[in-house]
Amino acid sequence: MAPVDLPLPRVGPAQDVAPTPVKVVLNWGRRYSLWVFNFGLACCAIEFIAASMARHDFIRLGVIPFAPGPRQADLMVVSGTVTDKMAPAVRRLYDQMPEPKYVISFGACSNSGGPYWDSYSVTKGVDTILPVDVYVPGCPPRPEALLQGILRLQEQIGQESLSTKGIRAKYARHRTAAAGEVTRDLVAPPKPAATTAPAATAPAATTPSVQAADGAAGEQP
Amino acid sequence: MSDPASVDRVEVPPGEWVAAVTAARDEGYAFFDWLTAVDQTDATDNPGFDVVCHLLDPSTPRALRRRLLRTRVSEGEALASLTPVFRGAAWHERETHEMFGLDFDGFDDGTGLGLRPLLLPDGFEGTPLRKSFVLAARASKAWPGAKEPGESEHARPTGRRRVSAPGVPDPEWGPR
Repeated sequence: MAPVDLPLPRVGPAQDVAPTPVKVVLNWGRRYSLWVFNFGLACCAIEFIAASMARHDFIRLGVIPFAPGPRQADLMVVSGTVTDKMAPAVRRLYDQMPEPKYVISFGACSNSGGPYWDSYSVTKGVDTILPVDVYVPGCPPRPEALLQGILRLQEQIGQESLSTKGIRAKYARHRTAAAGEVTRDLVAPPKPAATTAPAATAPAATTPSVQAADGAAGEQP
Repeated sequence: MSDPASVDRVEVPPGEWVAAVTAARDEGYAFFDWLTAVDQTDATDNPGFDVVCHLLDPSTPRALRRRLLRTRVSEGEALASLTPVFRGAAWHERETHEMFGLDFDGFDDGTGLGLRPLLLPDGFEGTPLRKSFVLAARASKAWPGAKEPGESEHARPTGRRRVSAPGVPDPEWGPR
């Protein structure tokens, strides 16, 4: 499929001229319904999971675990070591998220490469491939640190201007891929070879490629 | 398992590599655990790469017998592949190939595609686990802080000679 140059989604003309109280209400709604998408890559993901569980329970802050996939998520938490091999997948899933979207970089590795900063394979911070709103330091950070990061992000969202122009300005700089480039056709299951594969194993072999065509099926924990 | 005395260590010349592993498998060391290489190009005698193969004998589960076979391959030489003996050695040999640049003669994992990168990202150049591989990130991206122990600006210089680890760029790479 050739890339289709879809325009950025518009927030709506009414919001450009909305009076301040309406903006406050809209921001309030947005900051307390952050569907979260966990990009867990290493041990920081364990702390993230701890933050989502009963003791810390970030749903009381309005962070909703978990979005079924990046296409339904508002917030991506990159927790763990981003490698150069993984970086295209991180970028791809970020591009699939609907705007407005927010990114929390959780832990030293995704902030800057961390202790693996001079490795041959580790990306020097996830902010080299996508825009990051809040950095949470630590190796790994405690769940409380993530809660603090979420509070800081919600402060930022509360101060956001809702105009379409402002949102365009936020994402236009980082928008490197058109929408058509991060989607692709459904991958047809391979034809089972008549000589080698018995018929019983053919459906099992074809399932992964169908899931991969969905784009995000394999990434959600 | 962690008792080092339980490991049966065997030094093999490169020419007898496949024969030695085959003999070990037929003796009962039938579980292929691990194959990798060690960069010994700075050794004083017979520099090259140590290729290490670790085998287990699963017939005695409470006291696993282990055998560690090792051979020294000179730089630029190829070693015979273990894929005819253990099919699972294919991934290990591909990883050893991309990390150390070692070639394996007769490599066959059933695909016919030969030795090709397994773990490294597309377009990666170099063999990163060789000691001669320079970690260019140290030169290209400044790190805000002390990289080595005792390097902080607040610490007094110790006067000890600093040993440079393999991979750290030379001073000619510029300040960092």
